[in-house]
Amino acid sequence: MILSFVFFSFSFAFYILSTLFYLGNAVFKKRWLGQIATTLAIVALFSTTMILIARAGESGHAPFSNLYESMVLFVWALNIGYLLMEYRHKYKVMGVFVMTVASVAMLSASMLPFRYKSSGQLNPALQSKWHWMVGLFSKVGLEKYAIGWLDFHVFTTFIGYAAFAIAFALSVMYLIKNVSEMKGKKYFIAGSFPDSRSIDEISYRAIAWGFPFLTIGIVSGAMWANYAWGSYWSWDPKETWSLITWFIYAAYLHARVTRGWRGRKAAYISIGGFLAVVFLYWGVSFVLPGLHAYS
Amino acid sequence: MRAKVNKAAVSEPARKKKKTIPAKIWSFFNSLKLTLGVLLTLAIVSIIGTIIEQNKPIEDYLSSYGPGWTKVILSMGLDNMFHTWWFNAIAGLLTVNIIVCTLERFPPKWKSLLNQVPRGKFSPRMIDNCSHNQTMHLTGGLDATAEKVVGIFKRKKYKVVSHKEDDGLYLYAWKGTIGRFGSDVVHISLLLILIGAIIGGVYGYKDFRLVYEGGTMQVPDADFKVRLDKFWIDYYENGQIRQYNSLLTVMEDGKEVLQKQIWVNEPLYYKGIRFYQSSYGTAWDKVESASIGIVRKDTKSLDSTATIKWGEKKRLPGSEYSVKLIGYTSDFAFDERTRQVFSQSADPKNQAVNLEVYRNGKLISTPWLFLKYPGIFPAIPDSEDDLVFAGYTGIMYSGISLNKGPGTNLVWTGSVIMGLGFILAFFIFHRRVWIYLRETDKSTEIKVGGLINKNQFAFENELKNIVKEIKSDKST
Ligand code: HEM
Repeated sequence: MILSFVFFSFSFAFYILSTLFYLGNAVFKKRWLGQIATTLAIVALFSTTMILIARAGESGHAPFSNLYESMVLFVWALNIGYLLMEYRHKYKVMGVFVMTVASVAMLSASMLPFRYKSSGQLNPALQSKWHWMVGLFSKVGLEKYAIGWLDFHVFTTFIGYAAFAIAFALSVMYLIKNVSEMKGKKYFIAGSFPDSRSIDEISYRAIAWGFPFLTIGIVSGAMWANYAWGSYWSWDPKETWSLITWFIYAAYLHARVTRGWRGRKAAYISIGGFLAVVFLYWGVSFVLPGLHAYS
Repeated sequence: MRAKVNKAAVSEPARKKKKTIPAKIWSFFNSLKLTLGVLLTLAIVSIIGTIIEQNKPIEDYLSSYGPGWTKVILSMGLDNMFHTWWFNAIAGLLTVNIIVCTLERFPPKWKSLLNQVPRGKFSPRMIDNCSHNQTMHLTGGLDATAEKVVGIFKRKKYKVVSHKEDDGLYLYAWKGTIGRFGSDVVHISLLLILIGAIIGGVYGYKDFRLVYEGGTMQVPDADFKVRLDKFWIDYYENGQIRQYNSLLTVMEDGKEVLQKQIWVNEPLYYKGIRFYQSSYGTAWDKVESASIGIVRKDTKSLDSTATIKWGEKKRLPGSEYSVKLIGYTSDFAFDERTRQVFSQSADPKNQAVNLEVYRNGKLISTPWLFLKYPGIFPAIPDSEDDLVFAGYTGIMYSGISLNKGPGTNLVWTGSVIMGLGFILAFFIFHRRVWIYLRETDKSTEIKVGGLINKNQFAFENELKNIVKEIKSDKST
């Protein structure tokens, strides 16, 4: 497991550096600072990808099977999502907030007890490979990397979480910007933010990506449960929390349809939704009892 | 002017004037505020259902919450919250809300969006009111310019209609109308999922069976039985368990119709019922065979042993005794009141076998023999010989979950449709562009203005590009 831990340490450093450079760019408004920040984010993405590849090599299965690996997957998706967003909208100041989330996520993954990090063999309930994929992969001798409902479930869920994390970062930005616009003062680096309507709109787009992925995650989880436990829904705490999160973001989407619920109120719902995601991800594993003890 | 132009929403206030009671009920359900309230209520209530552990024995609640709170929990059904009438009622509220909203909004939306392409002129001033608009002048003639503009929009997969009037040319270009129906598709799919869940709740069941190797299980509501041929465990090289397997055979009218190996994530599916591997163990009331020996009481020397199969009567070699194996318990206990032997647990803690002992064909005793305590009760009364229970071969059983979920496929169908709905709702945007061309002295004036229902940024960019293309000299 050495290799993946080495890549992890490098990635961790890259995320922190990238955050600092984005911050420097926002404060000093120097082009080159922003360019270095983006370069660091790309390097971090590469390095995070290597963590996942190294993990797959070490464990002999797709690298999404415990809390630590899923955390890395989350950061990976967050980074890709952010870079796409930066490429599209060119607002580098968003990187300050998104990369902070990524760094905190890396920090929390690094603080996990070792038994959550070690990559063991899969216990029987976690084996659910798709036959057609095993058949396809066995032609090239890679059948152990064939994926199944579990991997698909974790993968889609974490893309959803990453999108919600971006929406969360933007909602925090929105609130800062909103207050500084109302008071006519420039709080912190709020002066370099895009206008609040743009932040609101991009935040909505992030949720418009996250919501379908969360839904696919819930449905594929249900399919997996149906295979593994014989029923697709049993109201265990993890399932219930995923539904709670889903309700909150559904409320967000509908709040936007009615007038006057954009902006501040929407930002509050989005932040509440992300807190639910954090609880769904960490709280349920460590605070509440249930079936999903592994991740 | 903001992007949302929803004709259905506009007619809402008009309906509010004179209200009969059914109309009041209808408008109560036709409300997005209700939707928000119900969604957030469901979220909060569900949190309670995860904090209070569900379906535990009363003692657990008593010890965690004390008698006062336990009373509250039990009277409100918080120990089985997701199945209480009031939780279902909230879900029902959401269902009616969705149905009413869809009935109310879908038909007018359908009409207004699909049938109302402007057929004549429109006021050029409305172009200036669009959130994205631009006015420019080009040197080319009206017809050539119009052709170029139409070409650009068509290449971008827009549909275009044009209308010529004395004062100029009116163009309307649009695409992605279908995206407007995404939310309706999502709502309808949600109803399908709910219907599937209800069907499953009413007609489905979950059950559990323990079967011994060679044994057969009855299946509720079905005209077939299932036999367990074999149970075994696969291991990794380091000894960790890899998989639990059962080999099952479906029996119909006494005939074998299907054989399948199942393991933890690989059930047998037959006639709407699934059979899942869910546990295993060694039988506590039966063994495959036991090994019985003869001991002389004085010398305690073991003379000979024999392996006796379950239910089989066999002579112990070199002796006058025959024994028949009639009982086994894995954790022997004796109930003084009923004078019955039973097993305290399913674990092999104090294994004992029950024998019928025959001397010269005559039944002389039916002793229990203990694996761990040989000789504590004499097996053969008034004799120098005693019997001991020297070992056994257990029988594996497999715990099989049975599951009939008749609504499940509807739930999956609904889920797939929901996915389509998301694609429509979140990734296909309804774009409408109005273009007005007018010939002036030396040039052609073009006004372009557009609306999109969401994702303003993408549209802003697209229109910018289109305008750039219109202005550029390159002809199509
Ligand atoms: C859990 C329940 C529900 C889910 C998951 C759901 C899902 C959705 C989704 C994904 C959208 C598209 C949002 C967007 O484009 O930003 C939407 C829009 C909408 N929903 Fe729901 N919905 C639910 C319940 C309801 C209910 C009960 C109503 C009844 C009032 C309702 C009314 C609407 C309306 C009016 C729209 C906007 C339609 C449009 O802009 O074309 N929804 N819903």
